[in-house]
Amino acid sequence: MDYITDKRILLVDDEPELLDMVVSMLKADGFGNIRTAGSVQKALETAAGFKPELAILDVMLPDGDGFMLMKQLKIMSDYPILFLTARGEDEDKFRGFGLGADDYMVKPFLPKELTFRVRAILRRSYREEKPLVKLHGSEIDFARGEVRKNGSRIPLTAKEFELLSALHRNQGRIVTIDALCEAAWGDNPFGYENSLMVHIRRIREKIEENPSSPVSLVTVKGLGYKLITKEK
Amino acid sequence: MKSIPKLIRRFLLILLLSTVLLLALNIAVLVLISASQTPGASPWTTAKEAADALEKTANGYQLSNEMAQELRSESVWALFIDNHTLNTLWTSENLPDSVPVDYDASDIARLTRGYIADYPTFTGENDQGLMILGYPKDRFWKQMYPAWDYDFIAGLPRILLIVLAANAGLLLLIYIVTSSRLLRSVNPIAEGIQQLPDGQPAYMKETGVLSQLAHSINETSHALQRQKYELAKKETARANWIAGVSHDIRTPLSMVMGYASQLETSDDLPESQRQKAMVIRRQSEKIRALVSDLNLASKLEYDMQPVNLRQEKLVPLVRKVVVNFINMDIENRYPIVWDTSEATETCAISADRELLQRAISNLIQNSINHNETGCQISVSITAPQGKCHILVEDDGIGVSGEQLEKLNHAAHYMVCDTNATEQRHGLGLLLVKQIISAHQGEIIMGRSASGGFSVKLILPCQ
Repeated sequence: MDYITDKRILLVDDEPELLDMVVSMLKADGFGNIRTAGSVQKALETAAGFKPELAILDVMLPDGDGFMLMKQLKIMSDYPILFLTARGEDEDKFRGFGLGADDYMVKPFLPKELTFRVRAILRRSYREEKPLVKLHGSEIDFARGEVRKNGSRIPLTAKEFELLSALHRNQGRIVTIDALCEAAWGDNPFGYENSLMVHIRRIREKIEENPSSPVSLVTVKGLGYKLITKEK
Repeated sequence: MKSIPKLIRRFLLILLLSTVLLLALNIAVLVLISASQTPGASPWTTAKEAADALEKTANGYQLSNEMAQELRSESVWALFIDNHTLNTLWTSENLPDSVPVDYDASDIARLTRGYIADYPTFTGENDQGLMILGYPKDRFWKQMYPAWDYDFIAGLPRILLIVLAANAGLLLLIYIVTSSRLLRSVNPIAEGIQQLPDGQPAYMKETGVLSQLAHSINETSHALQRQKYELAKKETARANWIAGVSHDIRTPLSMVMGYASQLETSDDLPESQRQKAMVIRRQSEKIRALVSDLNLASKLEYDMQPVNLRQEKLVPLVRKVVVNFINMDIENRYPIVWDTSEATETCAISADRELLQRAISNLIQNSINHNETGCQISVSITAPQGKCHILVEDDGIGVSGEQLEKLNHAAHYMVCDTNATEQRHGLGLLLVKQIISAHQGEIIMGRSASGGFSVKLILPCQ
């Protein structure tokens, strides 16, 4: 997981005290590469030298708004953007993320809420260089798209790979049936529940020591599935 | 307001029909009077009867007694002329002196048509000759030259029909013209009045007979529009005020919440201090929920929140909320039981996804807020009889019957129109109520089987 906390994060807000707090939250979670700016102008200057890999922007800035800043930052280089907003009204704008933002958070927020979002965006945007995930009794090698179990290598199909990736991005958390169907079958993921069950069974045959009593890929009845890795 | 043209038309129709009726009545009365004007038999018949009643006897001609009596009673004189000689064979005793006794053919033609010495005369014949009756001068008026075109008389039924039809057509025309003219001046007024309750601005030209009425309507409309605008302005101001406050509170609250949360997990602090930080963090989370509920509730109340209803599958929508709560509840103090059969997977509703998720998450949060020591929450979806039921229950402390009564029936202070000194229930539930009402659904609060709190949302299924 270290590859995530190494990412360069640019933080833009006009409230210095808030900047300090967010920095301390991120640092407490292990992030070390953080720069801050208090205005659009400063942000652009900082971004030019710092080359951030994630920007966290306030919507309201003294010399412009965050949406405008996002466009200018994206011209320089394309990286994920997380918005912080104090206005409930902005939520309407963010719905569907039509503006090109990757995610948004409404103030106030808890440290764990912030770091969860930041980690989720980074994991989604930057694939792990060595994505080797240790499970109980097997390992998933995402780079090769295969499972190593008892010394043998079992290849994953495309759908199995997508499903395992989605579960891995949210490891230790429940991923809903609907989210998994969407990951595997795209935009209109209804009516695939039975196919999903078939795929989950095949994945279990590949990763579990005893597929009929799974310990790594567990079912949460009616809701979804959860991937338990050895790291957590 | 359709009734006004109807009223006018009916009124005109009655007016015209009564004209026709009046005319018919007049004609009938006239006919009746003229019929009663001719007493007894016609003079022509009397003349014929008189001719028959004259008998030739040895002493000359003799009129029967009854006929003589009848003629006398009417002061009628009589004269009998021989067919061949044109000599006067018999006269009544009361023959006036001015009446001649010698006649030639032209005299007879004239007296048949008209008068002798201004006495209206009538003739009747028998085998021998011609009986002439002379009535008193003021008894009859004779039409002396009665002759009509044959075609006219032959076509009389047709002509009568045409005249009737022309009259009816004329009446119809009068009706159409008057009613349309009347309606043209009344209709705008009626429409104007109709627009007033709809809240639309009504404006009409202040001309014509009804200009004063039009003026009054214009004035009323203007006043209503002004009131509407003032009200909207006030509501917008109130909603903006709440939005502004909730915005301004968010940034300072971020710092309270963020630092309290950090202190709570700080290893440098003794346990008692961390407990205090936890209280601050929890309370600031409550303020956060309050602020965001307040803003949304006020926008929904003043119709400033767009409700984007779309076809949604209910189960995935609720499932996402439930999973979010399970994923956030690391200590597992509030386990959520998902009890929904696969049969309801296809249940679709028309909903604003974000708003409905907010309502359900408010209900789950409500159970968490009211049970600080933890509780089990159960969420289930059923679809009986074309409805979707979403049931959120907990096994926590529940509510008393009195509280339940208030929750179900008392208005929240925010939407209460009387002075409310006590807060009836949390803003979170008000918001749920508003959201469910925007979805044409209903909400039933009660007690769960295990004595906890239970809320059932009933939404129309598609």
